[in-house]
Amino acid sequence: MDEFEAFLDAGGIVEPNDDIPERYRHAVFRFIELHANSEYMGGLTERDWIPKAPGMHRKLTALAKSQDEIGHAHLLYMVAADLEVKTREEMMVDLLEGRTHFHNVFHYRVHSWADQIAVAYLVDGAALASQQAVFKNCSYGPYKRILRRVIAEEGFHMRNGEEMVLLMAHGTNTQHEMMQEAINRWWLPAVQLFGPDSRPDDELLRWHIKSERNEDLRDRYVQKFVPQLLNGGFTIPDPGLRKDPDDGKWKISEIDWEPLKKTMRNGGPDSARRIADARSAWENADWVRTALDAAAKAHT
Amino acid sequence: MKTYEVFLKKEGKDPFSHAGSVDAPDDELARTYAREAYGRRSEGDQMWVVPRSDILIADETELKLADRNHRHNDGQLLAELRRTTSSGES
Repeated sequence: MDEFEAFLDAGGIVEPNDDIPERYRHAVFRFIELHANSEYMGGLTERDWIPKAPGMHRKLTALAKSQDEIGHAHLLYMVAADLEVKTREEMMVDLLEGRTHFHNVFHYRVHSWADQIAVAYLVDGAALASQQAVFKNCSYGPYKRILRRVIAEEGFHMRNGEEMVLLMAHGTNTQHEMMQEAINRWWLPAVQLFGPDSRPDDELLRWHIKSERNEDLRDRYVQKFVPQLLNGGFTIPDPGLRKDPDDGKWKISEIDWEPLKKTMRNGGPDSARRIADARSAWENADWVRTALDAAAKAHT
Repeated sequence: MKTYEVFLKKEGKDPFSHAGSVDAPDDELARTYAREAYGRRSEGDQMWVVPRSDILIADETELKLADRNHRHNDGQLLAELRRTTSSGES
């Protein structure tokens, strides 16, 4: 392991056929599986909003975004499966049976179209920041290579998100209020996406899977998004938010991480409904899998 | 004889990339020829050799059809909104 860690510290990149410590293999696998599950669950919610999006243009961008998210899940499940811990089907079944997890932000209800905008802006913004930090210095080659594409597409989503937030900022009072309510609901989950402060012995950092500490990513996010929201005429739902007179940086209130732990164990307000919805999508597509298997058999 | 396409991967972060092709009577010789033609100075530490006839090829028209305007955002509207927002609200 010492030799392997020295290889990683020197900027070494791991490929699937390399001889690697099992603990590294499993850590990378769990990380990618969580990412894949999150893209998949996110993509399903996006899909729900295609018919409800206002106007043809927004329906089309919602359609493109759903396809991107499901596409990311597909790329990630392929990369995860090559680690030979679980097959793609096993990962899918574990997710649908509630045995594995997905990011906190996909455990809450999306109440309105404004929520969907808040998700595109605040949540995709947070996800993009954390993916960029992984991409920068990721030791697992196949993951790093597909993150390039994932990040490029998340960039589109964020651009669409910011565009829609500003349109709401310029809109009627009702639209402004709707947007504010959505920001009130999604600000904290987005900030929590980065997770609690990284532990000093975090293996993901030591093995260069992640390259930045959670608290640093969270802080940078706050510095970027607080001024943008204030500039749009919105408030931040955090009574403890203040600008530090010494370093001029925005400081948020202490976060209570207890509710997040329950949420991450699939006990969030919308977890059960979302998992049931994903399960019915899987069951409804059973005939497609059966047909594909039959076609594959016919060719061999 | 069959034509094979050769892909090489250098040690490090770069993905596999196309190196060239070789003609060979069978898979075994294709691997040898590919190694001798494209890998004799450690140009890569991994190599894929694929029969050209096994590669499915999509043409330009097909790929153009996959692209759709609504998947892009040129940032023009956003730039305009950013400009008017900062002058109006702050």
